[in-house]
Amino acid sequence: MVTLQKLNPLDDSKLEELGFSWHTDSDGSKYVSDELVEISSSEAEAYYTAGNEIYDMYVEAAEYVIENDLFFDLGIPFNLIDIIKKSWENDVHWHIYGRFDLAGGIDGEDIKLIEFNADTPTGLFETALLQWALLKHNNMDEENQFNNVYEAISENFKRLITLFDETSKFDSRYDGWKILFSSIAENDEEEATTRLLQQMATDAGFNTSFEYLENTHFDDNGIFDAHENNYEYWFKLYPWEDIAHDEPELATTLTNIIQNQKAIILNPAYTLLFQSKGMMKILCDLFPDSPYLLKTSYEPLDGIKQVEKAVFGREGANTKIINADGNVAEQTDGPYDNYKKVYQEYVEFPKDVKGNKYQAGVFFAYEACGMSFRKGSEIMDNMSKFVGHVIV
Amino acid sequence: MINNKHISSIASGIGLGSAGVLMMSVLTGCEAPQQEQQNRFLVIEQQTNGKYIVVEEMPTEGPSRAIIREKDANGNTTERFMNETEMKALAEQEYQKVQNGTSETVQDGGGSAGMGLAGTILAVAAGSLLGNMIGNSLMNNKNFAKNSASSNKSAYSRSAASRAKKSSSKKSFFGSSSRTSSSRSYGS
Repeated sequence: MVTLQKLNPLDDSKLEELGFSWHTDSDGSKYVSDELVEISSSEAEAYYTAGNEIYDMYVEAAEYVIENDLFFDLGIPFNLIDIIKKSWENDVHWHIYGRFDLAGGIDGEDIKLIEFNADTPTGLFETALLQWALLKHNNMDEENQFNNVYEAISENFKRLITLFDETSKFDSRYDGWKILFSSIAENDEEEATTRLLQQMATDAGFNTSFEYLENTHFDDNGIFDAHENNYEYWFKLYPWEDIAHDEPELATTLTNIIQNQKAIILNPAYTLLFQSKGMMKILCDLFPDSPYLLKTSYEPLDGIKQVEKAVFGREGANTKIINADGNVAEQTDGPYDNYKKVYQEYVEFPKDVKGNKYQAGVFFAYEACGMSFRKGSEIMDNMSKFVGHVIV
Repeated sequence: MINNKHISSIASGIGLGSAGVLMMSVLTGCEAPQQEQQNRFLVIEQQTNGKYIVVEEMPTEGPSRAIIREKDANGNTTERFMNETEMKALAEQEYQKVQNGTSETVQDGGGSAGMGLAGTILAVAAGSLLGNMIGNSLMNNKNFAKNSASSNKSAYSRSAASRAKKSSSKKSFFGSSSRTSSSRSYGS
């Protein structure tokens, strides 16, 4: 059973002052819960360990996919295969951050991987800043949280320069290279997430700038803002698979940019391998004894309750829960039906006394670095609520 | 109290870097700790539409000051010097307009073609002229932040000629993107 602590909520005007405008969902309900999930320090440690071990498995699995040319199995668009391989070959294409969605972890339930949001994870502002602010606002000890997210991502930006060396060498090696941050115009949540990442990079010591995606310019020689300033790094909060399908010419240009070593794109193209839910089938093949993995297949599983998902589905769209007898217990529609499907063994999320279900999101930036929860029903969708946590 | 560095580094907001300053100031309702404000030396140029944009910006050890480059009635370029007191007066005057909602610095799309002189000065130097508190609160206004960015063409500036030449082969994308909803989106 999930144990909750009641909170005095931050009012909407305070949230807006903090730069957090997406506090109310489209049905008028509050997106930020006025409760905190209680976890123990050993549960926090277990989430930390799980994040690190699962990431290591993903790295091995990506290597396996590339060596065995399994891109088609993962549903990777053909026009990104080249850039994925190129980004994988050189460590300068450093993965800045991702978020694992996990079931279990509370009350002795095993932690199970639901999926890895490796390319464009949101929930960052909420996890890094907001849940800290909730503790502070309620005069609680803000150290009682698994939450290193801001500092860990800032440090990980430094590794763009120092790679596997100590990040303390950043200052002596950094030579003014600039990072351009981009998100789509008129989406507050994505812009605030992107600007927060920019702030983390600025704190790390980088020269940075922001430009909307629509105003960013590209040619084979590089990536430019609206004033034609050229950047060595470009962070885009925009899914790689959407670039592949909606902007195929850009996919070609970005491949040339990487080939010509004109710019480094973040998160790197290989994070699309991690993002594909097809990877969880590869993980099952490679690590059959891992306690973190749910049985996953490209074909429906025999005789067990399972979840059908699109390999690049988001926010619970195009998801089906199928009972052991083959009947569909629940399903959502959405725009991702054209993608390949995977079938993942069903697992119960931890529940509170009212029957609400909780999914843990563990952020990863070189190591697992913090967490928060989402509260919802059987399928976590974009009406699910943000819930902070406290270590008791 | 959690002692493991990998679990928590956020005591007192230290691990939140520069974001912690804003968080603390909003939560406590107090002014953020004053940072050393960098004064600016600006070159502000009047455009053919009569509006102004910043074409050069340099940090300065001395007081803030600006060169205002304008066209006179005959189309000749004139330059005048503006000291910190004059800049402050214009910024304060524009800030009054922000407070009663009439300033173009907080209008959507106001700065895309430049703004009036007072608006331009406020947009690029509010923090150093009127203090961090006002500067930060203005930058939290999305329109202000956008106008501030678009009225300042100084960063890594290049000549207009090379700009025109270079941009000929460049492309922009995402024009027809459907991902413009204001709802939460990529979390999955």
